Formats: sequence, structure tokens, C-alpha cells
Amino acid sequence: MPDKSELLLGCAPITDRPGTDRAMRMAIQGARRAPKKAVTFGHQQAFDAAIAKVVRSIPVDAQIAEWFVNENLIPVVPRGWKKIVRNPVVIAIATALLVIGAVVAYRITEHLRDFPGADKARRLLSVGASNRSVLLDPLQTDAGALSDLFFLKHRLEHYDVPAEFAEFKTLGSRVFDDDEVLRVAQIWVKEKRMQFFLFPAEPDKQGKINDFSDWRFVELEGWTGAVTQRNGVCFMAAIRGGEKDLRGYLEKKKQ
Amino acid sequence: MAVTTKNLPQLYRFCFLMTGDATKAQAAFQETVREAATRAASDEPAPDRLWFFRDARWRCVALGEQGIQAEPGMLEEAEISATAPMQIQQLDPAQLALWISAAPEPQRSALALFYLDEFSLAELLSLLEMKAGELSELICSGRRQFQSWLDSTFAYYEGETLDAGQV
Repeated sequence: MPDKSELLLGCAPITDRPGTDRAMRMAIQGARRAPKKAVTFGHQQAFDAAIAKVVRSIPVDAQIAEWFVNENLIPVVPRGWKKIVRNPVVIAIATALLVIGAVVAYRITEHLRDFPGADKARRLLSVGASNRSVLLDPLQTDAGALSDLFFLKHRLEHYDVPAEFAEFKTLGSRVFDDDEVLRVAQIWVKEKRMQFFLFPAEPDKQGKINDFSDWRFVELEGWTGAVTQRNGVCFMAAIRGGEKDLRGYLEKKKQ
Repeated sequence: MAVTTKNLPQLYRFCFLMTGDATKAQAAFQETVREAATRAASDEPAPDRLWFFRDARWRCVALGEQGIQAEPGMLEEAEISATAPMQIQQLDPAQLALWISAAPEPQRSALALFYLDEFSLAELLSLLEMKAGELSELICSGRRQFQSWLDSTFAYYEGETLDAGQV
């Protein structure tokens, strides 16, 4: 059975042309170097060249030759921008770029609004979304009154519910340890089944804890949290819904 | 690669080798060029150089199926001789075209495209939709068969070419 180089030699180009692939060039070089092969290959090349010469001498009929005179026989229609835009490939690429751009823009905006502790807050939103009230110890009181309970029972200092939410009636509460967020106090209130989370603030890149008294928002899978940070403790009011559902409570207190 | 009128004589030669008949070659050539012009004028992508030869190939094959067909059979083969170029010199292009057009497909297309000396190996394989090994076998057997035919048609004796009638 002939090897690969012999197979390639069988269809070796009649005239040397640029762009001949490497395997073919190697096969030709090999054939020219081996004395016995060189003779056979030489005969083949001469044979092919002679036939190609006859092919080139095929006369072109006068009637056909007239066709070659007209340079515009096959008009090359320049592609207009409308045609290019309507091309499904272009549409697909443009759509993909738009989606990627939108995602990148969303991520950038999200990070611009981020604050130290935003990741912890998002994690707690997922906790809020997944657990049920039965996990909490039933307790019916004002949310603001739980600061003392957290301090006396669990030694959690400054775990205070801000004035905006202090008068909300509670359904239950619990304190638990989370691997990433550490000691977390969770309060469930009657008002729209809202949940409050109190957890240690996250230091910034310099290792400092910078409190903020305004409200910053985080979102995760249909849940929104309004976060404020005082005395090194973050408070988050979490609700199933959007930012506007929480804004009402925050603005009411300002008035 | 764009198609210009420079490629068209080669396209006609290809049609002639495939059909062995000037009238049929002319018909296949004209139909292909017309089809290309129609495509270029419409919304379809402009045909490239390979498209022309691909289209012409199937037109020639269809034309070849009309009329008298060569009987299938094993042709004799002979090793390529050193005197082959002198024998080939005596050939008329029409004789070569008749011989190639009588070859079975896909050997006919392989020989016609290969001897146009127009395409790279990759282009030949793309046009013929076959692997290098298959193409090589078709070309090699074509050479040996053609040599055998040459030997029986144009004998060559020490610088003197004689046709079969003189031997």
C-alpha cells in the first residue's frame, strides 16, 4: 500500500506554485533526492507538463471568446449597508454584543453602588428568601425593643433596629452564626412579611469600618434589601419586591 | 478569489475536456456564466471561482449522460514512459478531450480539473469532494491508462514518432 508521500506525489502540482502545502513540498523534495524515485517522478512531471500544454492549447471558440471581452459579464454588486445590516449573522453578532454590553453595564453600575458588606447583605437576602418563620423563636413585640434582648441574651452590642423600622410588630427572631457573615440577628415582622438582619460591618480595603447613615440597596433574585451601617453594625430591611417597595418606609420616616 | 473574465477561458477548456464536444462545452459554459450573472444580480452571495467550476462540472456530467455512452470496462495500463512527452506532442487537443470525457466519473472530473493546472490540491479536493488518496489513485490510474492508449496510438522509436498505422 503506498504511503502518504507516494499518494501526494501522485497528484503533485504540474507547475510550482506558491501556497503548496508543507506535506506536498516534503514529498516532492524526498522524491527528487532518492535516485530511483527521482527518475519515475521526473517522467510523471514531464508527462503531466506535456498534457497541461495540450490543455492550454485548446482553442476557444470565437463565439465564446466574445464573452470574455465584456468585463462586466458578471456584475459585482457592492453590498449596501442595508443588506449588511439585514444579514442574519450580523444581526446575531449585534444582538450578542448588545446583551454582553448590557450585562457588563449592569455589573459595573451594581459595583459602583456597592459598599463594603454588600456581598454579605446579598448572602443574607438568599437566607431570607429560603427560610420559613418556623425557624425563628416566636416573639411579639416592637422591633426596636429587641436591641436589649440581643445585648443581654447574646452579647451583641449595637444590634439596634433604626428608628424607621423600630415600631414594626415582630413575629419572631433568632440569632445564628454564618460562616461568612458571622453573628447574625434575624427578625421577622408582620408588615409585608419583611425581614430584618443585623450583622457585623465589613471593613474596607484599608481595614477601616466606615459607617453610613444613608440607605443603600442590594438586590438578589426578586428580593431587595435597604442597608444602613451604624456603630460597626449593618442593619438590612429585606422585602420580596423592588427598591420602590422599601423607599416608601424610608421616606415616611423622613417626613 | 473573485472571478474575472481571465478565468473564463479555463472554464471553457474544462467544459471541453469534460464533454469532448465543442457544442456541449459551449452550452455548459454559457449556462454556468448565465447562472452566475443571475446570482450576482440577485440577493444571493456572488459566486466565487470554485463555484463556476463546480456548477460547470455538474452541467457537463448531465450533458455527458445524453447520447452515446462509453462502455464500462477495465482499460489497460502501462508505466509512464520517458518518451511520453514526445507522444503527447503529437496529440490534438480534441483527442485528449475525447479520451478524458470517456473516463468514468469522478475520474473524468479529476483528470480535467488536474490538467487545467489551475487549482491547488486543497481546491481540487474541495471541488471533487474527495480525499487526497482517492484523487491520487484516480490521477495515477488515469496516467497509466493514458500511457497505454498513447502506446497503442503513437509509437515512438528513437526520435521518430509513428502513428499506429505505421508500426
